Amino acid sequence: MKTPGPVLAEQIRRIEDSKLFSFRSGQLPTWCPGCGYFGIHAGINAALWQLGIPHHKVVVVSGIGCAGRYPFFSNTYGLHTTHGRSLPVATGVKLANPELTVLAVGGDGDGLGIGGGHLPHASRKDVNISYVLFDNSIYGLTKGQPSPSSPTGFKTKVSPSGTTERPLNATLMALSYGASFVARLFAGEPGRIGEIMAQGIRHPGFSFLHVYTSCVTFDKEYKTWDHLKEWVHPIPEGHDPSNFRAAMNLVLDDDFATGLVYQRGGNG
Amino acid sequence: MSKLDITVEVCGMAGDGTIAAGGLINEGMSRGGLSVLAFDSYPAEIRGFGRCVTRSRIGHERRTALEEHTHVLISLNDEQSLSRVPFLTDLSAVFFDNRPPAPVPEESSLAAHVEPTTALFGMPFSDLAAQAAGSDRGRNLVALGGFAAVFQVPSELFQQAIVKKFKSKGQKVVESNVRCFQAGYAYAQERFSERLRDPISFPPRKEGPDIVMLSGNTAIAEGALDAGLHLYFGYPITPATPIMEYLAKKLPERGGRLMQMEDEIASIGAVLGGFFAGKRSMTATSGPGFALMTELITHGVMSETPAVIVDAQRGGPATGLPTKTEQSDLHAAVFGGPGDSARIVIAPTDVLECYHLTMKSFQLAEKYQIPVIVLTDFFLDNRVESVPPPVAGDGDGKDMTVYPDPDAKEPYRRFKITESGVSPRALPGMEGYIFTATGLEHTEKGLPDYTPENHSKMTEKRYRKLRSALEDLPSPVEQAPVGRMDLGVVGWGSNFGSVHEAVNRACERGLKVGALKLTSIYPYHEDAIRDFMSRCDEVLIAELNFEGQLANLIGHLHRKEVIRLNRVTGLPMPPSVIYKKILEILGETDS
Repeated sequence: MKTPGPVLAEQIRRIEDSKLFSFRSGQLPTWCPGCGYFGIHAGINAALWQLGIPHHKVVVVSGIGCAGRYPFFSNTYGLHTTHGRSLPVATGVKLANPELTVLAVGGDGDGLGIGGGHLPHASRKDVNISYVLFDNSIYGLTKGQPSPSSPTGFKTKVSPSGTTERPLNATLMALSYGASFVARLFAGEPGRIGEIMAQGIRHPGFSFLHVYTSCVTFDKEYKTWDHLKEWVHPIPEGHDPSNFRAAMNLVLDDDFATGLVYQRGGNG
Repeated sequence: MSKLDITVEVCGMAGDGTIAAGGLINEGMSRGGLSVLAFDSYPAEIRGFGRCVTRSRIGHERRTALEEHTHVLISLNDEQSLSRVPFLTDLSAVFFDNRPPAPVPEESSLAAHVEPTTALFGMPFSDLAAQAAGSDRGRNLVALGGFAAVFQVPSELFQQAIVKKFKSKGQKVVESNVRCFQAGYAYAQERFSERLRDPISFPPRKEGPDIVMLSGNTAIAEGALDAGLHLYFGYPITPATPIMEYLAKKLPERGGRLMQMEDEIASIGAVLGGFFAGKRSMTATSGPGFALMTELITHGVMSETPAVIVDAQRGGPATGLPTKTEQSDLHAAVFGGPGDSARIVIAPTDVLECYHLTMKSFQLAEKYQIPVIVLTDFFLDNRVESVPPPVAGDGDGKDMTVYPDPDAKEPYRRFKITESGVSPRALPGMEGYIFTATGLEHTEKGLPDYTPENHSKMTEKRYRKLRSALEDLPSPVEQAPVGRMDLGVVGWGSNFGSVHEAVNRACERGLKVGALKLTSIYPYHEDAIRDFMSRCDEVLIAELNFEGQLANLIGHLHRKEVIRLNRVTGLPMPPSVIYKKILEILGETDS
């Protein structure tokens, strides 16, 4: 390997000095250049840093898929489990040691497809863990098949004429399952992710963060950065996140309003 | 005085109080100092017209198997009991309701079907209960009173048992039940005085711990509690559910937590999560649930996370026979799941072993960082045995985790390749040891690595743990050990009880037959088993499955083809079936 020149070395030193990056492990993420997951990674790290949680007190549990690799890139304890099973495993970790901050992370195929049966129960059990769903509406690691949140008509290798199924709406699901903290976010806004993620971690129950993101390699048609930037907008001012009916109406009326959708027991 | 060994059966329709009456017989007789082995069989449906049968083998010596025959039949419903008539021995006794609440069709009358040598005791169960307690609900207790009087069992034994069973329901219930029992007792004493049977002889009272009636499932739960169980996750399934129900009450009392999960996959997932974070965790299931768990069990193998899983086997495949017994999950337990996934499988053979081996499984799981499967079966889980209360050994709750050395110079490697295969394990929350565990093949540090050298090295490492664990796994036990044997019989799980008794009978007859009890199913003590087999001309492996799954696993250790005795009736294998096979192999005639 070539020794970095003085400019690059200075940049590396600055990055290393910055506490903000301390939650990154030494592993270079295997995500494609331009992947939205980098933004989510930055957001989660910012939240953990901001809350001042020691690295060794955090466990990140994941399933399978591009997002499943997250624990390797996180300077925390990690458990990379089987496809779809991050939530029950995270539940076990939290019950065993409530002093740990436990995050479950995974993609839409992992969390809404193979593991779709666990979200209702994690929501109603209300165990104090945070679940971040990286929703790019495609199976990336298996190279581009439709996911449960792909739109009707989405063309992929296994749906050459477009999918015929209707997409799942994860925010709506979590709300109706009774999750006590529900937020919808956008990978292009790590700052918002960090801010609301920190609230979610502080929330004394199950917090669900649904993050819209883009797969730059296998989706050139639907959730592209251009489209997402055009569609995503903040939840209108005046929305009361403690009002369940208002939260349901918001989600039913608007697929792309982002921010804190619902929190039982007010903000705190 | 000849040694007492009788089987008493209560048979009725669901709702007749059959199981309650059987339970009282077990409790009363064990209070008198007799040894009891009892097993209930009931339908998988909650209501409806299913037959309930409780069978209790009662005697002076401890028994580990049930025969098919019956000496005393207490019928609470003659139509249901008819099917039991062929199993009555000569000189049996039958108690029946001669004025049942609903008329019995003539062709179902028990009296018309039994052999003339059978003593018939017809009593108006319902009328007597109605007189004693105002309703016929206590007719099972009237029947019990009749049985006690005819066999001259001291009535206080049963009365104590009744008080114990019903005291939580209040004094009125206790009293009305005692009155029903007494009514039956008085009636039988008056009417049958001339036909009173040989009294059941009770041994003199011995000092020592009280005897308790313990089921396999309760013993498993108690063993887990005494091992320091902290978290239980489960999903209801017959016959494992009683473990969860028992722990739901007891685990919180000891500061632990139980959570019913949405399915078996979630249950094993949470167990792995719990153990990953350093707390003893467990789940229990049966075949269909176990099948769902296998992927995550192999994750435990790959990520070197401990787990304890009880597989209470029932008949299969698929949903199979939910309330019947079988030993056909052995292949699934040892080999189930993707890849070369080395795990530990142990199988208790009786209720006390359920307690001790469950406890042991936590130590093994923790010490070797590996999933441990405890294989039981319906017959072992749901039978009750009169046993001295099991007591944990000194080191049984001891933390067996191999922690990293805080003074180590080199950077921490969670999956370090060692001679024993065991690497130091850090727990989340410990500073300075951050790592990620994964189900992917990985390096010593835990990072994904699919290179050929790494995969072979790591697979070898994981299998080395089994070699090391063998030292801690219970060795096979020989019964009636002699130098050379004409025949050796190998048994495992609950079926070993039947092997034990059959081999005893053969030895009493002077045959050169021995038995080998196997509790370490995988890994197994190859040398000890081969040594036993090499001293036998023939080897018979008797098990409750069609394929001969244990025979498939260890048969090659014998220089000749092993003989298989397999039965899949859903019922335990009676010792007489094995005994007959022994005679057949040795060319002896049954006399």
